[in-house]
Amino acid sequence: MKLRSAKSRTADLFAADYRSAVRRPDASPAPQPIAPLAPLAPLAPLSMAPPLTAAPHPLSRSPRRQLWYAAVFPQMTQLEPSVLQKLCLHAQAFTSFVSIEPPNALLLEIKGSVKLFGSLQRLHADIDACWRQLALPVRSATAPSTLAALWLARAGDPLQIEDVEMLPGHLAKVPIACTAWDGELLQTLRAMGVTSLSELMRLPRAGLARRLNPAVVQELDIALARQPAPRRAFVPRERFRERCDFETEIEHVAYLEKALDPLIERCAQFLLKRQAGVQALQLRLKHREAPATRVQLGLASITSEQRRLTDVLRQKLTGLELKAPVRGMELISGALRALSASSLDAFAGLTRAGSRDSAPQLVERLRARLGEEAVYGVCLIAEHRPEAAWRRVHELRLTGAPQVAEGMIDQGMPRPVWLLNEPLPLTKPQLLQGPERIESGWWDGKGVARDYYVARTPAGHPQGIRLWVFQERQSKRWYVHGVFA
Amino acid sequence: MSCVAVKTWMLREPSSLADILADARVWKLKDASAAPARPVWSTGLSSLDARLPGGGWPTASLIEVLLDETGLGEVQLFLPALVACQRSTQDSREAPWLVWIAPPHEPYAPALAQQGIELGRLLVVRPSTATEALWAAEQALSSGVCAAVLLWLKGTDDRWLRRLKLAAEAGGSLGVLFRPARHRFESSPANLRLSLSRGSPCARVDLLKVQGGRPGPVDLGGP
Repeated sequence: MKLRSAKSRTADLFAADYRSAVRRPDASPAPQPIAPLAPLAPLAPLSMAPPLTAAPHPLSRSPRRQLWYAAVFPQMTQLEPSVLQKLCLHAQAFTSFVSIEPPNALLLEIKGSVKLFGSLQRLHADIDACWRQLALPVRSATAPSTLAALWLARAGDPLQIEDVEMLPGHLAKVPIACTAWDGELLQTLRAMGVTSLSELMRLPRAGLARRLNPAVVQELDIALARQPAPRRAFVPRERFRERCDFETEIEHVAYLEKALDPLIERCAQFLLKRQAGVQALQLRLKHREAPATRVQLGLASITSEQRRLTDVLRQKLTGLELKAPVRGMELISGALRALSASSLDAFAGLTRAGSRDSAPQLVERLRARLGEEAVYGVCLIAEHRPEAAWRRVHELRLTGAPQVAEGMIDQGMPRPVWLLNEPLPLTKPQLLQGPERIESGWWDGKGVARDYYVARTPAGHPQGIRLWVFQERQSKRWYVHGVFA
Repeated sequence: MSCVAVKTWMLREPSSLADILADARVWKLKDASAAPARPVWSTGLSSLDARLPGGGWPTASLIEVLLDETGLGEVQLFLPALVACQRSTQDSREAPWLVWIAPPHEPYAPALAQQGIELGRLLVVRPSTATEALWAAEQALSSGVCAAVLLWLKGTDDRWLRRLKLAAEAGGSLGVLFRPARHRFESSPANLRLSLSRGSPCARVDLLKVQGGRPGPVDLGGP
């Protein structure tokens, strides 16, 4: 009983101050504190972090079941994000949880892989060998916490620490420059005579937080595995990409369409499995000598439907002239997007019996053949000048209810169905209705001062056509601006 | 054995007028007052409605309008029908689309909104050739999402018109084709043909072909 209370006091001291941890000899394992059995921390590294204000309990919350491998690529001081992402793909051969630590390091959670690879030593060596194969100089280390692994790797210690209790001893030797804190903070620490973590850990915790930065204490806690540090896992950006090579060269587009069908089918299945859709596709047709023909196609809405993909690709192909026989082709999808609930509407086809396709489908088929600019909508603009009261809309709202512009509809004088692009001069016509004075736009240099009338074609012309005419107030000249069709 | 033969022969013998009318090979001439099988949209002009079978523009059909110049009120003839068919559905999300292909000028949005057209459901298509315009019209008519497709053309052949008519019937939409008046004497598969010409005080409407009705000039005396 006495023994137990003494040991639990040790544990409390250990929690309160770093000094107790540092005084312990490095090699000897720390005595196991007799504490209530620590609940197993969840395997998922993204566990909830405790609030920063509360002092973390060292044992109950510590992420003991995590083991982090850090790889630092020292020669590449500033790695391109795309390069790091490619390295992540290599690292995913060893574990499913890989995280990027910019600018030049990767963190791998390898606790679950140790058994699979036999031992930690072997796993560590295997991962190192992977970088060696890529001819990348690397510094690596394994530790039970993310920051400890990272700092040790930066220090160049190829250590493999499995035990949390061993951490303080090993970290003590690490120079503070390896923490990659900002230069000002490191300068201050050096001026205080602190050059390694052991000296830093000897300082009183509360004073450190108050005088320097609370983040320093927090990072030390994370490094010593006293506080969990959730990390974002690297999720590879997926694309559908598949090629098919032909045994003989194909010269006719019609045969290409046949060969395309299985590719599209696999693409649709690929999308279906991921509950995702695409809005852009690219088809590359490979020739023997000429550079590949690229056929880009955009869809009006995100989709994973095989029929729609086939439809649009076919339309695009029919307008295509092959410059050389085709040897093979490759279908590449754009970025995968989450499918919205509306595009998965199972009953959409039943409500309108006999309908063959949907509005987005029609629009994208028209656009695939006629061009993006050839299909548009129109909308109202709250503006008095007739030529500025509307505009073309290329971003169409194809699903859902249309927006109603109640307030903008002018129920006064009639407006003509056709508006001429430029007003045309004419002699004074026979006026039927009017005038309607429109005077606006003096502020942007395109000011108008006009009297609008509904008129019949002027004398000398055959009768019967109703025009929308105006007289310019300054020049008193007459112009026709629209036709009532 | 002979008995069976007699029975078969008896069945083949038309026995009554109803049997004859039920035969698909018999072509029936309906009068204008007979209720049509398909719904119609009013033209907004009572004198024109009276002359059309069912009292309005027939849906799921191709209408050909022959005219030489714009400004004769040719679009106005169809605007009430376009508004009516856009408002026919209860759910505004289901509101059908209108497609205008190759209009001679820019459709003026404030005018259409004034007339009650749902601008969010209007699509303007500007193809570069006549063949593309016809192709676009066929796609829009047969898609089933468009209530009406208006197409302006300089000229086309009989084969394309037949395709448009079939597409309109398949998609259940109203196809309106505006063509120059010189095509007046060519044969056309359109369900309804009318020519528009200048007149005083308003344009003259001449029905050239009316399926189930009487052709002839229409007096648009009163609205």
